[in-house]
Amino acid sequence: MMSAKDKQSKNKVVEEKLLEDLNSKLSASVQCQKTRRLFVLIDPDQLVDTCTKAYESGFEHLSTIAATDWLEEGKIELTYHLWSYSHNHLLTIKTKIDRKKPKISSINSIWGGNAETCERECHELFGVKFKGNLNLTPLFLEDWEGPPPFLKDFNWREYVKKEDYDQSNPREKVYFEVKK
Amino acid sequence: MTKINEQKVNSDFAMNFGPAHPGSGNFAIKVEMRGERVLKATADPGYLHRGFEKLMEYREPMQNSVLSDRVCVLEPLQWNLVHAEAVDYLMGYEIPERAKYIRVILAELSRIQSHFIWYAVLSLGTGFMTGFNISIGYRDYILDVLNLITGGRVYPAGYICPGGIRKDFPEKAENKILELLPKIDYMRKFMLKENPAWLSRFKEIGVLTKEEAIKFGATGPVLRGSGVAADVRRDDPYEIYDELEFDIPVMDEGDALARFNVGVQEIEESMKIITQAIERLPKGEVRTPTLKPIVKFQNAKGEIYIRNELSRGEGAFYMVATGQKTPYRVKIRGPSFTHMIPIVEHLLTGVDYADVPAIYWSLYQCPADVDR
Repeated sequence: MMSAKDKQSKNKVVEEKLLEDLNSKLSASVQCQKTRRLFVLIDPDQLVDTCTKAYESGFEHLSTIAATDWLEEGKIELTYHLWSYSHNHLLTIKTKIDRKKPKISSINSIWGGNAETCERECHELFGVKFKGNLNLTPLFLEDWEGPPPFLKDFNWREYVKKEDYDQSNPREKVYFEVKK
Repeated sequence: MTKINEQKVNSDFAMNFGPAHPGSGNFAIKVEMRGERVLKATADPGYLHRGFEKLMEYREPMQNSVLSDRVCVLEPLQWNLVHAEAVDYLMGYEIPERAKYIRVILAELSRIQSHFIWYAVLSLGTGFMTGFNISIGYRDYILDVLNLITGGRVYPAGYICPGGIRKDFPEKAENKILELLPKIDYMRKFMLKENPAWLSRFKEIGVLTKEEAIKFGATGPVLRGSGVAADVRRDDPYEIYDELEFDIPVMDEGDALARFNVGVQEIEESMKIITQAIERLPKGEVRTPTLKPIVKFQNAKGEIYIRNELSRGEGAFYMVATGQKTPYRVKIRGPSFTHMIPIVEHLLTGVDYADVPAIYWSLYQCPADVDR
């Protein structure tokens, strides 16, 4: 068995080569966060192009799509986490879109149903619209009419108070109606 | 012009599989049927949506550690571990060696009891009640030991916490774990050979090819049952997994039986890991000394994507810290999310209704981590 130090130095060489490869293939500057964690910042209109190139260079597993609401900046950040079974590295593709009109292209041409389901979740909880995804129906919430609930400016305490506690529930009358 | 697939036949009807089905969990699948055949299946999650990602934005890491159990009822210790690792990285904690070993031992015990549950619901759903009863019975031996160590049978309430573990092993806990192994082995053998007629039900149904498995984002036993040798413990090692020797069971068939067989073989590998870890278990601290007594999350800045191999597949935490007491954003990736929505919809299209339960449970579902 190789010693831990040998392993580390070997990993480092592999990582540097992978970084070089990705830099030229994705035509963007890929950076290393820690061992096995790479990330790249791109413009929203390059997303499909970058994802396709990443897929072709071996990042074939879409782990998840996460949205982060940066309220002060006025942006919503989308992070696409891709894992490569051949390189054993995680590539995070980050892009920021306008918070007022959150719109971005769908990547369902590459990952099909998996990408569509992740996008449905982002659409429901953050209100992001994905061009090209025809199935953006609600996933978790039932009869939800309020704003996207995971946004930072959504005050759930106020919402619950207004919609629930301060309201008389019309169904309660039916439940507790005493028949004469 | 009428399209062929829009033509209605007299025997067409739609119905719900779940959420009131005895074994479906809090999850429903709307199936459109023509006679006995499923034309289209649509997953309907959301019965267990508790919004953990949002809840965690309002709580401190130690409180979140207790919340993280509840992400999945059947493998709470492993979810504890993923959460703890994310906070450990952001805070820069050095975890004591002993705590790392104990974390791994508990994660593997949790994996085994989760596999027993898998066998139990699989046999419950397909009418093999003996399998259900014996499996739940043997799972209880493991729960007793977990109760002794963590103080909770099912929910450890944040036993694996940021900075290490909450409390050291009680006296003779190692022996109790070693005494468990023959019992687990008996159950594993039972799972392999009992009962042939029932096992033959799972042959050649719900076939997921290698390409489909990767495209749909399958992980864990579902991916390995389709012939991809990928395991986060090996590919992206965490804790002490790179120092231990264990194999990754892989089967090429891709059908329901292959997925299940991978799970059974994994129990043996988990037993190997537990034996090795107990043999090498060092003495010393179990919590990082700098942690006193709460996590000062104000010092943390940055973000991390932590992946772990749970019993169902890849579970991950994406955590963003901006120097507040609470995390700015948490995203939880549950392994069942991909298995239970795109994959189940794909696999159920065009099968006989009698095969629906067998395919459904062979995907090792956990509605709790779909909804979160």
